[in-house]
Amino acid sequence: MNKSLTELKDEELIKDFQDSNTLEAYEILVRRYKDPLMNFVYRFVGDRDVCTDIVQDTMIKFYLNKDSYRSFAKFSTWIYTIAGNLAKNELKRRRRRSIFSISNNDDEKTPQIEDKMFRSPEKIADGEIRNEIIQKALLKVKPVYREVVVLRDIQDLSYEEISEITGLAIGTVKSRINRGRAQLQKLLKHIYKE
Amino acid sequence: MKTIYNENENNYSKMIKDLQNLPKIDAPENFEYNLMTRIKNKNFGKIEEEKQSFNWIKFLAPSAVVVTAIILLFVFLPASQQINNPLLNPAQNVDSQSILSNNIEEGSNAAKNNSLQNKNSAALNSSPVTSPNSSRSINRIDKNFLLSSSRPGVSLDDYISGSSHQRDMLRGNIVNGGNELTPNDGFFISEKPDQNTLNKYRAQLDSLRKAQLKADSLKKALKMP
Repeated sequence: MNKSLTELKDEELIKDFQDSNTLEAYEILVRRYKDPLMNFVYRFVGDRDVCTDIVQDTMIKFYLNKDSYRSFAKFSTWIYTIAGNLAKNELKRRRRRSIFSISNNDDEKTPQIEDKMFRSPEKIADGEIRNEIIQKALLKVKPVYREVVVLRDIQDLSYEEISEITGLAIGTVKSRINRGRAQLQKLLKHIYKE
Repeated sequence: MKTIYNENENNYSKMIKDLQNLPKIDAPENFEYNLMTRIKNKNFGKIEEEKQSFNWIKFLAPSAVVVTAIILLFVFLPASQQINNPLLNPAQNVDSQSILSNNIEEGSNAAKNNSLQNKNSAALNSSPVTSPNSSRSINRIDKNFLLSSSRPGVSLDDYISGSSHQRDMLRGNIVNGGNELTPNDGFFISEKPDQNTLNKYRAQLDSLRKAQLKADSLKKALKMP
């Protein structure tokens, strides 16, 4: 029975979960999507602990609202939408906190990438540092652009899927991706000198 | 359109490649265990609270807007829709005119009465009608009096029998209840006859009479043996 469940598609699994209300199908879906969602949320929010909480909340929301899923939509887009909304809420909460906090220390929340830009080219060539710089630059891109860039260039989703997840028209998705890439490249001009 | 985006992808190809090569972030090992524990313990935290919470601001803000709009509608709409009834205005004019004209007459009568009263008794001088400070009360009395008794009446009997020798133009005035002459009473169209047309018709009538006389004389001549 379990073997057959693992062979099922996402949509078939959620159908099974909706009908029988057993946790087996749910667990399989969690196993399939926990890592892609972690990656997406981490690249979007930039904090590992917060990211873990968001993905946990995403899975709980999926568990509680399983009946709100409709079979005409792809399960992947549905779960990405939930995770994206929770990640956006977290960013809003952070922004509110930064506005109302008395000791507004921006250095802690938005890491300065400029200091690292002036490291020697040998160090930039080092993979880890390079990835760190890219991640920090990504967090400086506007959230509306960052979301679509992460979905497209890191998660490797199609324009249609991104359009479904964000609820935007495909044209808007494309233009936002383009603007996001332009912003990112501007921030990373020391790496991509051309 | 597609080519534009493809060109853009080529522009950012290095960066896109780096983004794709970023290390994948995996969920912690105890992720599933923690999740299932939360589900079994029904520890849904903020998510359930969010689901159950009722946002009063979201409810009150639109309802307050609607209520304000309704109040404004009731406050301002009747004032802006004051309808001038054209049927009422002429009557008001007539009333005001008649009151004005009669007011003058009554004013003079009141003055006469006052002088008589002054002559007859000194006690009456203290009355509110004759006191100088009470000009308002005089006017009020005069108006009431005017409205009740001194309106010009329409003597219909005389009018029907024809005993009232009034001009046609005055008829409308009597009906209107006013004292002023109206340029047109609306019933009688006074047209001056044209002299040329009169002469023309007279000439035609004369020629007809002459022809009739000739015809009669001829008949008589024929009847004669």
